[in-house]
Amino acid sequence: MFRKRSEKDFADEIQAHLDMEADDLRQEGLSPDEARWKARRQFGNVRAAQESFYSKGRWIGLDNIRRDLRFGLRGLRQSPGFALTAILTLALGVGANAAVFSVINAVLLRSLPVADPSRLVYLRTSNPPRGTGTIDWNDTFSYPVYDALHRQHGALSEVIAYVPLSGGKVAVRIGAEPEEAEGDMVSGAFFSGLGIELARGRGFTAQDEANHAPLAVISYSYWTSRFSRNPDVLGTTLYVNGVALTIVGVAPQGFEGLEAGHSTDFWIPLQSRAELNAWGNPPENGRTYIANPTWWCLRLIGRLASGATKAQALGQLQSTFQRAAYVGLGSPMEGEKPPILSLIDAKGFPGYDQQYGKPLQVLMGMVGFVLLIALTNVVMLLMARNATRQREFSLRMAIGARRGDLLRQLLTESLLLVALGGAVAWAFAEIATRTLARWAQIESSLAPDRTVLFFALSLLGLAALLFGLAPLRVALSAGPALALKISGVTANTDARKSRAGRVIVALQMTLCVVLLVGAGLLLQTLRNLENTPLGMRVDGLVVFGVKPDIKSVPEGVAFYRQLMDKLRILPGVESVTIMEERLGSWWSDNNDMRVDGRIPQPANGAPATVRSNVAGPDFFHTLGVPVLEGRDFSDADTASSPHAGIINQEFARRFLPNQSPLGHTIGTDDGRYTMTIVGVVRDHKYRSIDEAPIPMAWYMYAQIPVIGGMQVELRAHGDPLAILPGARKALQQLDPNLPLIQPITQRAQFETTISSQLLFARLAEFFGLLAVVLVATGLYGTLAYRVTQRTAEIGVRMAVGAHRTQVVWMILADSLFLTACGVITGIPLAMLVGRGLTSSLYGVKPLDALSYLLAVIGVAIVALVASAIPAARAASIDPLRALRTE
Amino acid sequence: MTTQDPNRERLSLLQGTLDLLILRTLLLGPCHGQGVARSIQRQSEEVFAVDHGSLYIALQRLEDRRWIRARWGVSENNRKARFYSLTPKGREQLTEKTTEWQRLTRAMGLILDSGKRPIAEEA
Repeated sequence: MFRKRSEKDFADEIQAHLDMEADDLRQEGLSPDEARWKARRQFGNVRAAQESFYSKGRWIGLDNIRRDLRFGLRGLRQSPGFALTAILTLALGVGANAAVFSVINAVLLRSLPVADPSRLVYLRTSNPPRGTGTIDWNDTFSYPVYDALHRQHGALSEVIAYVPLSGGKVAVRIGAEPEEAEGDMVSGAFFSGLGIELARGRGFTAQDEANHAPLAVISYSYWTSRFSRNPDVLGTTLYVNGVALTIVGVAPQGFEGLEAGHSTDFWIPLQSRAELNAWGNPPENGRTYIANPTWWCLRLIGRLASGATKAQALGQLQSTFQRAAYVGLGSPMEGEKPPILSLIDAKGFPGYDQQYGKPLQVLMGMVGFVLLIALTNVVMLLMARNATRQREFSLRMAIGARRGDLLRQLLTESLLLVALGGAVAWAFAEIATRTLARWAQIESSLAPDRTVLFFALSLLGLAALLFGLAPLRVALSAGPALALKISGVTANTDARKSRAGRVIVALQMTLCVVLLVGAGLLLQTLRNLENTPLGMRVDGLVVFGVKPDIKSVPEGVAFYRQLMDKLRILPGVESVTIMEERLGSWWSDNNDMRVDGRIPQPANGAPATVRSNVAGPDFFHTLGVPVLEGRDFSDADTASSPHAGIINQEFARRFLPNQSPLGHTIGTDDGRYTMTIVGVVRDHKYRSIDEAPIPMAWYMYAQIPVIGGMQVELRAHGDPLAILPGARKALQQLDPNLPLIQPITQRAQFETTISSQLLFARLAEFFGLLAVVLVATGLYGTLAYRVTQRTAEIGVRMAVGAHRTQVVWMILADSLFLTACGVITGIPLAMLVGRGLTSSLYGVKPLDALSYLLAVIGVAIVALVASAIPAARAASIDPLRALRTE
Repeated sequence: MTTQDPNRERLSLLQGTLDLLILRTLLLGPCHGQGVARSIQRQSEEVFAVDHGSLYIALQRLEDRRWIRARWGVSENNRKARFYSLTPKGREQLTEKTTEWQRLTRAMGLILDSGKRPIAEEA
């Protein structure tokens, strides 16, 4: 309400009243002093009248809040150390939780950013039929399966297929320079069926799919990063593997495609031409994925019709699926288990739950512990601070503050802490998620979204509640009399209160033990992985992909021959080779192999699977893998010379034991291609760092009947990455359209295979350290506070003859006792956590004694360091001074 | 020193009556707060004790409702004072409230005096 009158005007009026009243009284015969005094007495409470004038017509609550806020801020400014510690502690605790939760949210929980995502389901099969090749055992399907399911429009109203154009990036060209990008081929219903409104232009239609139309839709982030959001991008030509495609649409912001952990740059309708085969594979006997029913390479997602359940959909589709699964294979073999279709909710990154699910949950538990430590720390800080302010509170009550006023002020202070801490926490979480995404090598956005915000706000709400309760007791127990009666030193010696503090510290010790054990296990895992011998000289190696446009096998062989010749003469290059599957990229070919004409039956039922690769000349020499018997591939191995093959030790051990493998014949399981073993090499890593030795065999690229994209491996003197510009020039002399695809040092490439372990180890290390710091500050705070409280007691003890060492020991024994309690309860809990981490451990057992020992020593050191200063202070108390404070 | 007369008990004002008394006092002409207080006390033969703090709050309330208006002026013995006067709206209110009050007191009187007369006579 608009107020015309000031408080001063009102005060003036009252003053006028008092003066006039005094005048009247004087006329009635009173002395001036008496008159003034009586006028005043008759008036009553002037202040109360003014206050009631002040509060009339105002929203009192808001006014009070403003005043409390100002007061609270002043209070926090007065003790900046306390404020900073509390805010940072809270920010780290809540921020760490928000960060880990946003990873969990993205990887395990988040729905796709499309209309009605809850009805989307991923299709899964129990297994592919025998005699098929797959990308993934459970989640890839053949084109005939897609085609059959797609034609059904029952409980599953749409079935959508999508498949990458390459295992990594694919060669594209927009301007003159070749580039690389991530692209998917998708069925016509991709955008409409998922329920995606395009930001610009149009999506695809069934017609586009049927015609294999040369169109493309680009992602919003690709539009932003590559085209600077140019509105004229529609109609631009995008060359993918040399094929011209017209950009017709831009996907909406936030939609990053369906490739788990990746961010797709563009989508094109399903194609049939050889240059755009699924996964960038060379066509098999001239057939791309569409014409090859035995290649299960497509991923499928479906939309349930409204009101339909997954069970209904499966009931309708199961028999169709099982019929389509055997297209091109004939009837199932005797006793073969038919594949079974299943549907899972489209949530999080499909397939990531195995690798990340359990460890992430354990990690969430660990950061939960960090939060618990952080919250209890702040509560203890608040309690200690309020306890020392008890005299201040009593004094304020003595001069007229109500209990409610005090409580409200303390609550405001707590809320201020929570709000400030929360703001810092959010900033911290933003940075942390970005770092986490980089560590985990997840390209898609992990940025905190609304779910995470809600989660963080709930945590802060919890904190606000806890911090609000902390001052309650102080506000209730403070009385105006206290200030006048008791000295500050003895005002707070309350056995119950300090017991609560001790329990909290012991609890923190428990959590600290658990966190340190977890961190120890994961760090040892990381060290084991990093120190795992790869079986080759990995330093100095750099690898990149090349995907030339090749019409025939001889042309392809000639291309690579020329390329290697050009690369070999580059300055700084020591040796060059090529291979089909890049080492350390999780990719590998796994098949049964014939040995001397038959599929071997290894002793004690070991699997007969051989992990194979296609390699170029000087392969093992370039990698630095020792050749134990025979020789390496060379340029002399050509299409016209006898087929040469090389195996590893494990192959020899399992399939050709107790004999020289040289001269034996090995070949594909269908018997169409055979080769003679010309060399045996030492076991080394192929797919990933943590793989166990497995039989391996290498084909010579120039002798086999298929050829496609290859990975080029260069060994350089000095910095291997410095070779790349020269290599790019050499490649573009052969074909100006070709980029170097995903160039990276071989060591970094291998490290991508331990990215999840790397992530967990780094996080655990960080949280372990954080917990140690928090526990140390908490313990220090509690002990220091208790020593201050016991100043008088210690003074008495020393006055009656206690030695300083005894006093120090008294304080130390106290914290060591708390540590012991923490360790005793912490170890069983740590064993539980260790079991949860089992799947992400390597070369270390969940019950690793060293980790436990180090954790216990760690908390003991923390306890001693945190106690040292309070103990020293206790020992330096002057007994006389301490007694005089009474 | 003056002492309180123990036999003369002062009554505290009923909620709402203060507003009516103020309006009635101002009917006689503009007056400042202290004058209103004195006048109420005197005219009620010192029965009503006017709490001065409440009086000023009440004056403010009436002013906010635009039943009275105020203006700074000079008092009879040359002091600056805030003078209040009735607005037309205030006059209306006074008539209304007075009628209301008279009906109330008559009804109260009827009930409280009923014991003195035989009830049959009424009927």
